Amino acid sequence: MEGITKRFGDVVANDDVDFSLEKGSIHALLGENGSGKTTLMSVLYGLYEKNAGTIHVDGEPRAFGSPRDAMDAGIGMIHQHFQLVETMTVLQNVVLGHEPTDNGLVDMSAARNDIEDICSRYQFGVDQFLDTKVQELDLGARQRVEIVKSLYRGADILILDEPTAVLTPQEIAELLDVMAELANAGHSLIFITHKLGEALDAADEITVLRDGEAIGTVDSGETSESELARMMVGREVQFDRPPRDAPRGDPVLDAEQLHVRGSRGLEQVSGVDVTVREGEILGIAGVQGNGQTELVEALTGLRDIDAGSVQFSGEDITDTNRRQRIDAGIAYIPENRTTEGLVQEYTLVRNALLGNQTVEPFVDNGMIDWAAVQRHAEEIIREYDVQPPNEDAEAKSLSGGNQQKFIVGREIEHAPDVMIASHPTRGVDIGSIEFIHDRLLELREAGMGIVVVSSKLDEIQKLADRIAVMYEGEFMATVEPTETTEEELGMLMTGHGPDDASGGVKS
Amino acid sequence: MSRSSKRLYDVVDSAAGHMLRASVIERLAIATASIALALLIGVGIVAAAGYDPVAFLTSLVEGAIGGQSAIARTLRFSTLFILTGVAVAVAFRAGVFNIGVQGQFVVGGFATIMSIIRTAPLLPEGVVGGVGLLLVGFAAGACAGGVYGAFPGALKAYADANVIITTIMLNFIATGVVGWLVQNPFRGEGNTAPNTERIPEYVSLPRIVFDSPGFSIVGLGIALATVAVIFVVMERSRFGYDMVTSGHQQSAATYSGVGAKRTIVLTMTLSGMVAGVAGAVFAIMIQGYYTDPSGIGTYGFDAIAVSLLAANNPLGIVPAGLLFGGLDSAGSHIGIYTDVPVQLIDGVIGLVILFVSVPELFRMAAQRTGLGGESR
Amino acid sequence: MSVTDYTDRNELRIAGVVAILAAVVVAAMVMDLQVLEIITAGFIERSLQAATPIALTAIGGLYAEKSGVFNIGVEGFMIFGAATAATMMWVISGGSPGQGDVWLAILASALVSLVFATIFAVLLIRYEADQIVAGLALWFIGLGFGPFMAILVWDSRNSPSLESVNDLTVPVLSDVPVVGQIFFDTSPLVLFTAVLAVAAWKFLNDTRYGYWIQAAGENPEALDTAGISVTRVRYAAVIFSGVMAGLGGAVLLAQAGSFTGTGDTMVSGRGWIGIVAYLFGNYNPLGAAVAALVFGGLDMLQIQLQTAGISVPNRLVNLFPYAGVIVVLTVWGTTRTPSAVGESYESEE
Repeated sequence: MEGITKRFGDVVANDDVDFSLEKGSIHALLGENGSGKTTLMSVLYGLYEKNAGTIHVDGEPRAFGSPRDAMDAGIGMIHQHFQLVETMTVLQNVVLGHEPTDNGLVDMSAARNDIEDICSRYQFGVDQFLDTKVQELDLGARQRVEIVKSLYRGADILILDEPTAVLTPQEIAELLDVMAELANAGHSLIFITHKLGEALDAADEITVLRDGEAIGTVDSGETSESELARMMVGREVQFDRPPRDAPRGDPVLDAEQLHVRGSRGLEQVSGVDVTVREGEILGIAGVQGNGQTELVEALTGLRDIDAGSVQFSGEDITDTNRRQRIDAGIAYIPENRTTEGLVQEYTLVRNALLGNQTVEPFVDNGMIDWAAVQRHAEEIIREYDVQPPNEDAEAKSLSGGNQQKFIVGREIEHAPDVMIASHPTRGVDIGSIEFIHDRLLELREAGMGIVVVSSKLDEIQKLADRIAVMYEGEFMATVEPTETTEEELGMLMTGHGPDDASGGVKS
Repeated sequence: MSRSSKRLYDVVDSAAGHMLRASVIERLAIATASIALALLIGVGIVAAAGYDPVAFLTSLVEGAIGGQSAIARTLRFSTLFILTGVAVAVAFRAGVFNIGVQGQFVVGGFATIMSIIRTAPLLPEGVVGGVGLLLVGFAAGACAGGVYGAFPGALKAYADANVIITTIMLNFIATGVVGWLVQNPFRGEGNTAPNTERIPEYVSLPRIVFDSPGFSIVGLGIALATVAVIFVVMERSRFGYDMVTSGHQQSAATYSGVGAKRTIVLTMTLSGMVAGVAGAVFAIMIQGYYTDPSGIGTYGFDAIAVSLLAANNPLGIVPAGLLFGGLDSAGSHIGIYTDVPVQLIDGVIGLVILFVSVPELFRMAAQRTGLGGESR
Repeated sequence: MSVTDYTDRNELRIAGVVAILAAVVVAAMVMDLQVLEIITAGFIERSLQAATPIALTAIGGLYAEKSGVFNIGVEGFMIFGAATAATMMWVISGGSPGQGDVWLAILASALVSLVFATIFAVLLIRYEADQIVAGLALWFIGLGFGPFMAILVWDSRNSPSLESVNDLTVPVLSDVPVVGQIFFDTSPLVLFTAVLAVAAWKFLNDTRYGYWIQAAGENPEALDTAGISVTRVRYAAVIFSGVMAGLGGAVLLAQAGSFTGTGDTMVSGRGWIGIVAYLFGNYNPLGAAVAALVFGGLDMLQIQLQTAGISVPNRLVNLFPYAGVIVVLTVWGTTRTPSAVGESYESEE
């Protein structure tokens, strides 16, 4: 691919990007969220039309108007959100769109033979599920089904879009094995990721994208994490831990033996104790999907608790709902700002009321004083440097960082006793990250109890007074950030017991 | 500026702002285009069927606004469309697809008549009794409609039963059961038709300004007052904010402490209550008794189009309701004074609803012809 | 999917149908009725005939919804189908229709439905109409223009007596007691519908097009990335549903032998019952056909009860299916609606 440019309106998602893939190799495409990785691949796969540039496959110039064209040229894409029909069986999904037929009916036995062939060639272990409906499979198995689907369609080039985002560490390891196997068998793979380590482990070559531009392509054997990181963010990220006094306050939020089930009815939190003191930041680290979401929702009142109790300033609040907890003084910076934290089609003024529906002076006797809400919105915008400073702008018109600053401001101005911040800086630009970190540290100084959930270890290490590492619904250990290395945290996050880590302190 | 007038100013100001944001001009254009297109097809059919299209159009206008009685008739229908339209708008704004306004309207109207008939012997005759019975009737209508709306709301909230389907079913059940009731246990003594007894003469809305059967300006006043109340609830009250937020983005509403289940039930109750009030106005102002609901018109269904046309904005419901009232009124006129079958008008109204449901059609047409270039 | 699969997965539903039938029987015994006097071969035959228009409509609606488009306009299509069939029969035959004219009328009605369904599909899919409102609108249009057609032809909302479809009597087989009368001396439309239900079931589950329809309703993106046009699949399904509903209306007319345009017209909610039937049958064509038969039976039951000397308010008995749906949706959890129903899909090409 040469000189690929893709614009969405005024936004340039890909700016004159060159990218080339060697046959039988794995090429990682590395970059932060929003750097244009997925867009570039969607152009290759025929989902988007490019504004400029050329694509050659095996030396032939090609132009793909649709995924079908790309598929015919031997390109398959495994999307971040699996393109599987949950109510259909694995077999039906694999052949969808390319069904072998016999007398008008789908020829199941032919399909079965072909798929079993593919599976045995690469030892996928998908063949045992052929007649199982996709909805009954776990995510790792679904991903393998996606890969089999692409191979069945005759793909030589496979694009994997953030394939590890939803997988457990074991599943990631298995996936990387599968990828190596495929490359050995002569397939060429493009591996989209924002995780440095994985790119280094899996790929032969790594191309880094930043703000839609290709920064450079390096050989994975001749580079290091720090070099890649510098390429990704444009400068060395400095997460210096500010000096501080040890927190000495009383416990303000105290949960014991929490058991919580996830949306699918499976237990996601299994007997967790959480204690947060005044003037303390408790960091909760872990790979996404290990029960952090459910734990946070249980603490904020968004999810029912199966067993255990939650105490707030000495009072039992286990059975109170979200609104009662807001009123009690538990603020929440939600994991997902676009679906939870802001109503996208509301102006910032209307969004300033979100979560404040019971707070005077904004609401009095059930009636809203919009003038007061407007002043509040203006104040948040000013204090938290929300750009553009226009309270009548719709939330969706703001950038991610500014949306997040608005939410952080709104929740802080709520004057809570406890702040629960879930991935407070995810997808936020660096300036905003530092701004949000500073605010959280200020609140800590002011004596608030704070919980920060993040999968970014550097963030957790910078902010937290104690770090609880969550793995498969349990706290593996609670450790001191100053006495624990990133490597030790990484071990804990992948389920290696606290004995392996030094400085383990049980709270 | 005093505090109260400042508040009033705010309301008007935000209303104006809101209307503009919903791009009033585009709405108007779509409404006009829908009606024009539907009428064009209607006129085409009239001409093809051998009737005089010019006479048809003339009597259409005459039937809607030609003279006091036509206007009164238009306002009579409009009153009902405005009320039922608001009922729909309340639910749709909150993201709850209440297709059951027709059923809530029927149940509310029937409850109104029966409560008045049953309470009448207990109260003195004359003005005092009349006003008292009116209050009883409206209260009964609102309650019955509210309960009949709350039921599918609760089924949705606690058993996850699809509201669209359950409310459609409840429409049939309301019509069937009330139809059977007025035919059998509650049929008025000596009635040959399947009707209840009449409510007493002194229970009626006063005929001021318009002296026309079946219309009272008070009825229209009730409709407009309901619009105002619902507008204030939606725009200025916490409950309204919770409701509208749920409709826009359920997860954000939940995040902010709004209980999803409770909101669905409350929304459906409020929507049903407004539909019940509409039923009460229909029963008291127009009929004075209750009859087989399969023959009383499809106000609750047409209301969906009224609300849609108004982008579910309570204030927009007023012009949209007037428009549908005019069409219905013209239909009655044509049915009586011309040889064009009234069914044609029913069909044309159906076409209007159909076109209103396809704003995209007109947007694309506008783009292609270069008209209204900036309307996306 | 095999029949046993289906029964396994729908135990509750099937149990429900059985329970309703058992309740009817028990009620009959408690009320000291001669069950055999009521459940006669003639009753079953009439129930099957009453079920055919509902089943046809249900199968069509099911396909549309499976593909991701909720066609609640089927009631309107049925009215058009019936009115078109009636007027066509009259026009083709010049006022004195015979058997051939009946079949021609059904065919003509299906063709006219094809045209309407195509227009409707364009509005729903190309122009992203609100499916609920557009569907309701179609009902009103049918309620208006259906009787209007009758008025144009006969100057009345009802037609004079036309011709109805003759029973098809298979020699020898029709002499078999009970079974003969039910299956081999009945309207050929019943047999046609039965065959169609099986074919629709096989088509949906065992052909590529069936796969595509299911994928279009569950995860259109998956179908799109497999290189199949979601839009085309949905067009096909919606047009099919309109034609089937129109056919259902035509069949209804062909059985009744005259058009009724008063009240809710002769269709009188059968389109809605069709929707209910496929929900009841959990989007399985065979299940929908069985549900249609239950509703057809309920419809005929009151006549049967009347002849047995029991008067039941038929107005209330007619409401059974509607109440049944609410119970099904509530007690047996949700009928699993395809996830992408109601969302218009735009390919990002």
